[in-house]
Amino acid sequence: MSLSLVLRGAARCNAANLVKSARITPLKSYSTLVANAQRRAVVQPLALAKIAAPVVREISVSAPRMASAGGSHTLLWTVERVVSAGLLAVIPAAFIAPSQVLDALLAVSVVIHAHWGVEAMVVDYMRPSVVGNILPKVAHIALIIISVATLGGLFYFIQNDVGLANGIKRFWAIKGKDAEKKQA
Amino acid sequence: MLVNEARQLLSRVGSVAARHQLRAISNGTAQLEQQAQPKEAKEPQVKKFEIYRWNPDNAGEKPYMQTYEVDLRECGPMVLDALIKIKNELDPTLTFRRSCREGICGSCAMNIGGTNTLACISKIDTNTSKSLKVYPLPHMYVVRDLVPDMNNFYEQYRNIQPWLQRKNEAGEQKGKAQYLQSVEDRSKLDGLYECILCACCSTSCPSYWWNAEKYLGPAVLMQAYRWIIDSRDENAAERLGKLKDPFSVYRCHTIMNCTRTCPKGLNPGRAIAEIKKLLSGLASKPAPKLETAALHK
Repeated sequence: MSLSLVLRGAARCNAANLVKSARITPLKSYSTLVANAQRRAVVQPLALAKIAAPVVREISVSAPRMASAGGSHTLLWTVERVVSAGLLAVIPAAFIAPSQVLDALLAVSVVIHAHWGVEAMVVDYMRPSVVGNILPKVAHIALIIISVATLGGLFYFIQNDVGLANGIKRFWAIKGKDAEKKQA
Repeated sequence: MLVNEARQLLSRVGSVAARHQLRAISNGTAQLEQQAQPKEAKEPQVKKFEIYRWNPDNAGEKPYMQTYEVDLRECGPMVLDALIKIKNELDPTLTFRRSCREGICGSCAMNIGGTNTLACISKIDTNTSKSLKVYPLPHMYVVRDLVPDMNNFYEQYRNIQPWLQRKNEAGEQKGKAQYLQSVEDRSKLDGLYECILCACCSTSCPSYWWNAEKYLGPAVLMQAYRWIIDSRDENAAERLGKLKDPFSVYRCHTIMNCTRTCPKGLNPGRAIAEIKKLLSGLASKPAPKLETAALHK
């Protein structure tokens, strides 16, 4: 379920990001396009004169989905809020009563929470208009790989080792060389 | 002439000495009294204004900051007064929008001392050791100097269809009778209808900076909410349906710069949160307290 949610959000935002042509964005009606053209002409008279080439259509390998026009984001938003609120209960519970089930719940919720946060950053700061068409896609795929790998690693640790909460507790219990001397 | 001078002095300093002087002038003893004029009143209070300049007619020229010196004793209290004084007396090429000069039209929205606000209702900081920096609204295309291009913003406003919509348009003849609205329902529009669309909030929002062509921005979203929650409007579901994509509303990360900067003291951040609640079904639009079309029957 978590993976499907990850992929779902990614596909949506990615498509919206990558296929950046006039017919994809809902707000760019004809009048805006004209206004934009005028605006650019006003803003960069010199640059426009230099690059007086005919308009070249951007070619994209992604499916031209009406990503920002259609599709509902409401379910994903609600799930995000539920996970955020759930973390307030899951984190203390996992530490108070360490078990494999709670550890798994902790791992899934923390990883997907972080994933959505970083995904928002990728969408906001890796915009095709700024960094080109390839980098946003690479960043998105890399993010998915990192999130999946993190989750897999945590599951492995929970299954084959002391578990997540216990592991973190052990980290906390590490004392320096001088600790015993001081106690003695 | 001298009387006028004295009157100016009076308004500026309001000191007993000046008042005395005015009396002296009316009595015809001005010459003698003028020498007793307080010295601190003469000292000009010079404030530096650093203003963003860019003119599209000067081909290839980069934007630059131009410094103007204004004597605050010869100038009104607001930043717009200083800008008008600069344009009138120092540099007629300085370009900015202004109209009402009392914070109701939203024309003079600009970035003053790092904050988006209306020049007409923001006081000049009288600390003359620091200069005051004035920029156009951030992350907007600049037409010239302090004039930003508002086309995209207005297009977005048009996109939310900011007018009352009814299901039974044929049965309710326009202008024939009022639509009823209870006092309670009307109070839901308070804090929403006061917006003057100056775009201070939208242009302070990082999400709007990064995705202005797809994210509607706080000002427009607050107006969207104003029509969604209006008890007389019957198209709330359709209005919400248009907003459920990943960008129109959901690019809001609750940064709250909008609420912080609003020169009218409104809260667009809350309105966006209400839209999100309505979209997710955590809240629903209440039924009108009065039958809105009762007078049309």
